[in-house]
Amino acid sequence: MELKRFTRLSMLLALSVVLNLIETIVPLFNGTVPGIRLGLANVVILLVLYAYTFRDALFLSIVRVFLVGILRTGVFSITFFFSFGGAILSILFMYLFKRFTKLSMVGVSIIGSVMHSLGQILVLTIYLHSFSAFAYLPIMLAFAIPTGIFTGVISKSLVKYVK
Amino acid sequence: MVLNSMNKSDIKLIVVVLFLILVFYLLFDNNAPGTNAIVKYNGSVIDKLDLTKDNSYTYDGALGDVVVNVSNGYIYIEKENSPKHICKKQGKISKSGESLICLPNLITIEIESNDVEYDSIVR
Repeated sequence: MELKRFTRLSMLLALSVVLNLIETIVPLFNGTVPGIRLGLANVVILLVLYAYTFRDALFLSIVRVFLVGILRTGVFSITFFFSFGGAILSILFMYLFKRFTKLSMVGVSIIGSVMHSLGQILVLTIYLHSFSAFAYLPIMLAFAIPTGIFTGVISKSLVKYVK
Repeated sequence: MVLNSMNKSDIKLIVVVLFLILVFYLLFDNNAPGTNAIVKYNGSVIDKLDLTKDNSYTYDGALGDVVVNVSNGYIYIEKENSPKHICKKQGKISKSGESLICLPNLITIEIESNDVEYDSIVR
């Protein structure tokens, strides 16, 4: 059983990395709104959170950020820290809201999407030593709702196949 | 299909997030046209521009020269060397509280009004 679990988790990890790469090749709105992405990789993280455990999902998130870092942005570059801040904050809050509220998978996905934006803005704030980045929060949050619903609905219809 | 997969708490969450968007929007958008622009490099102020005078300025960014242009009360980045040119794509800004963030060059431009003191208290 352990072997099956590891194999499945590895496949899901690979899938999340590939989805992340595809997403950056085809940006939303032709890249006119910087920093807006569908968050397809979050589908995988959500599936792992629901079908496996929080620890697996956290581990997968961290490894994913490092792998995307190696493949695309470079490890410990500023883009890497954006992803890292966003991913960690997102998975932590998704877990807390899943455990302590009545939110469905779609709601938890919106939380993940919102926290991913917030995490990136926090990293940007630390990096620039300026709160001006928070001016972007409303527009990022406005996009976080539809993208969160989108990934949430996909995850919800897929979760029964992963379990 | 979308509505079927959501429950009451999900809808409540969306309402809360929409409310937060409104709050943050109001916090950062006071619609007053700005009078000055603060230019920062890596967090420290390097210049303060008068938005009432049309002019062009050049700053030393992390990736080379960043050319900033002021015309008719609007400020925008005219030329920069970032890989995706997101600094340039942010376009023109004119209102107090708005900002241009040029991350690869470590340059930020924030617009202020003359009544800065009051502005920050209201915030």
